[in-house]
Amino acid sequence: MRNLLIFIVGAAALITLPHFLSFSQQEILVFLTINILLVSSYRLLTLTGEWSLGHVVIMGVGAYASALFSKELGLYVPVSILLGGIVAALLAVLLSFPLFRMKGFYFLIGSFAAGEIIRLLWKRFRDPFGGAKGIKGIDPMPDFSIGIYDFDFFEPISYYYLSAMIVAACLWILWRIERSPVGLTFHAVHWQDKLAEASGVNLRAYRTLAFAISSGFAGIAGALLAHYIGTINPNSFDVEVMVFVLTWAIVGGTGTFYGPILGCIVLTVLNEIVLRELGFEQMRPLIYGAIMILSILFMPKGLESVVQRIISRRAKT
Amino acid sequence: MTTFLEVDNLTMRFGGLTAVDGLSFKVEHGEIHGLIGPNGAGKTTTFNMISGFYTPTSGQVRLRGEDISGLKMHEVARRGVVRTFQHSTLFAELSVMDNALVGTHMPFRPNIFAAIIGWDKEDREGARARASEALEFFGLDHLKDDLAGDLSHGHQRALGMAVAYASHPDVMLLDEPFTGMNPEETRQMMELMRKLRDNGITILLVEHDMQAIMGLCDKITCMSFGKFLAEGGPKEIRNHPAVIEAYLGGARHVA
Amino acid sequence: MDLLAQTGLNAVYAASYISLIAVGLVLIFGVMGVINFAHGELYMAGAYSVVLIYSDFQLPFMVAVAVGLLFVGCLGLLMERALFRPLKDNPLGGLVASIGFLMIMQALASMGFGVRMEHIPPVTQHVIEFSERVRLPLSRLYVIIAAVVLLTVLWVFLKKTRFGWALRAAAQDPEAAALQGISIKQTARIAMFIGAGLAGIAGALTAPLVSVNPHMGHSVIVTAFIVIIVGGVGSLEGAVIASVVYAIVHTFVTTFFDGVVADITGLSLMLLVLIVKPTGLFGSADRA
Repeated sequence: MRNLLIFIVGAAALITLPHFLSFSQQEILVFLTINILLVSSYRLLTLTGEWSLGHVVIMGVGAYASALFSKELGLYVPVSILLGGIVAALLAVLLSFPLFRMKGFYFLIGSFAAGEIIRLLWKRFRDPFGGAKGIKGIDPMPDFSIGIYDFDFFEPISYYYLSAMIVAACLWILWRIERSPVGLTFHAVHWQDKLAEASGVNLRAYRTLAFAISSGFAGIAGALLAHYIGTINPNSFDVEVMVFVLTWAIVGGTGTFYGPILGCIVLTVLNEIVLRELGFEQMRPLIYGAIMILSILFMPKGLESVVQRIISRRAKT
Repeated sequence: MTTFLEVDNLTMRFGGLTAVDGLSFKVEHGEIHGLIGPNGAGKTTTFNMISGFYTPTSGQVRLRGEDISGLKMHEVARRGVVRTFQHSTLFAELSVMDNALVGTHMPFRPNIFAAIIGWDKEDREGARARASEALEFFGLDHLKDDLAGDLSHGHQRALGMAVAYASHPDVMLLDEPFTGMNPEETRQMMELMRKLRDNGITILLVEHDMQAIMGLCDKITCMSFGKFLAEGGPKEIRNHPAVIEAYLGGARHVA
Repeated sequence: MDLLAQTGLNAVYAASYISLIAVGLVLIFGVMGVINFAHGELYMAGAYSVVLIYSDFQLPFMVAVAVGLLFVGCLGLLMERALFRPLKDNPLGGLVASIGFLMIMQALASMGFGVRMEHIPPVTQHVIEFSERVRLPLSRLYVIIAAVVLLTVLWVFLKKTRFGWALRAAAQDPEAAALQGISIKQTARIAMFIGAGLAGIAGALTAPLVSVNPHMGHSVIVTAFIVIIVGGVGSLEGAVIASVVYAIVHTFVTTFFDGVVADITGLSLMLLVLIVKPTGLFGSADRA
């Protein structure tokens, strides 16, 4: 009963939220929604203990695939978004063969190299990827109506509602996976791979599974982004964006499901809204960098550890 | 009739060093079989080859006639040969129950699609039941919500066995199961191992604790400097001149 | 034939400044155990030292280079004290902190100098002409000479002095080194100063030859990563050899195909090394 109440209040808050925001803030809200999916999908990979630097490029694979499916093959946009995710997941399976020969630091660097190669291939092959200028005029989501609400995708509010629903569905799936025996096995692979293996766990298969699922959802996030902004190029998915994902995850903490989401929301609001409003346009990266350093120095377990402390203190009193 | 578990001319070289040299022995079904030898005799290396942790340089490990040497550890495990580890190799960050649940991976293989939709209720319940059973067997059920890393040393060793037992193994390979246990814990653990054997589980163990091994094993293989030295029941081994010589000589060698 | 010779000269020049940067990165990784993502920004800081001292204040180029070395070396000390020492048990944290440092450096450079490309007056217009189409600008020769001299000095320092011995010991096994009475803090400071200083001097020396801008560190760090992976993480000799190999491959592929293909080739080379021998062609220590 209490959970239902929280759910209703939360949903109502999310529905009314954009109406209190300016147009540019609504746009940021759309990006934030998509980025929440991106960073949550990233966390699934970190469950197995691997940290990738290619996740944003994989997101780009979903974006490129979906853009091309709709543009070149004329597929219905929602279908192409789904296919974008599938292409990203399949590519991850392919990449797992070279990449999972490595672990830890080497996987980090290897995934970076693989990602950069993909990005350079987009740059090099003008057909079909459009070279350095990328793909322009990507089909927008077709407008539709559900009776009580008319979706007009020139409005960020409409796209926010749509992406929020898709992201919520994806997060639900990610949550179910994490709470299932599969999620437990991911943990096992991370913390004691030898013991997991001795219990009959095929380490390679589970690492690949986590990589593919996490890539698939990243691909969907990328496709959502592509059909919103309408133009993508290799630099939309460069290592600077990856750095943001990494910091969301680390500043938020990856021990809990909500940690990376919290990190993403707090840092985005701070960076895009607070610092902008305060007029620190040029100094934004400087302050952002300083916040990153301070949070890793003084809050090494992330924002989630603060939340956990508050919750446990509440439980005691 | 084929032998249940057979080590045939097993050899392992690390660079120029021959750790195990042409070792052969047989383990009968339903027995507790001990593998002993002075320090550096190659017991642990042998153990690691049987469990798939190392690939032998040459020779075979046969389970019911099938060559399992060179298979990966999870493939060996899926054929019913499950090992434990020295020290306290556990999922320290997970609860005792979750540790045991990882052990049920083989009998209740997770299915991701069923898990998302929620059609795996029976499997999840079955896995929980099996995990509880394993914890109960090793007297850990009252600790099931504790973190594995917080357990006492003796309980951690027992949990390591419970994780292996939860997977319904045919053979349990135990790597020095009594290390760090006090005499009372050792006695209880020996009792549990006999119970495992009576349930039809074959046990192969590597151990330093002579007292425990003599009182527990049906058959003992002794090795020295990577080679087969002697085999027999506890009484034979205790009085075997080569074994006595190896241990005394080995002791002098070590000192 | 001329084209081949000219490309060869270009490769030697590229190898010399890449190896300065990569050796610094390896030194820092070896002793500190962190990947310094801000290494490209240290290089950038060295270049801006020259912009300030040489082109704005009109002081001699050599003074500017010396200031670059010292200034960036001190930045290294700052990073050691403020970031890597407190985070020494948290390699992922060290990585994040160095990314934060990178962003701060880039922002400071943009705020202080603007995002536009800096024009630096050439140090010398002199060009050595081997033939009509094989030419080596003297300023490039300076970089080559400086790299050879610096790396030789570093090599002698590491092999012959007590400090060097301590540094190598700390890189191989910090705990054993501490037991031997080596001050880990001291060696960490020296490694950071030298590692950062090498990046700074590379930036200072090449400043008149490249486009100096706040984001110039990015391509450099990618190159340095490739080189240290191919050379074997933690191997200084490997880093130098890999720099030469990479410079030759990259320069030739750029000349005969184009820059993007050259980048793809370099990255593929690194991926291949990671797949076949993750510890690098010359690495043996397993420090993951």
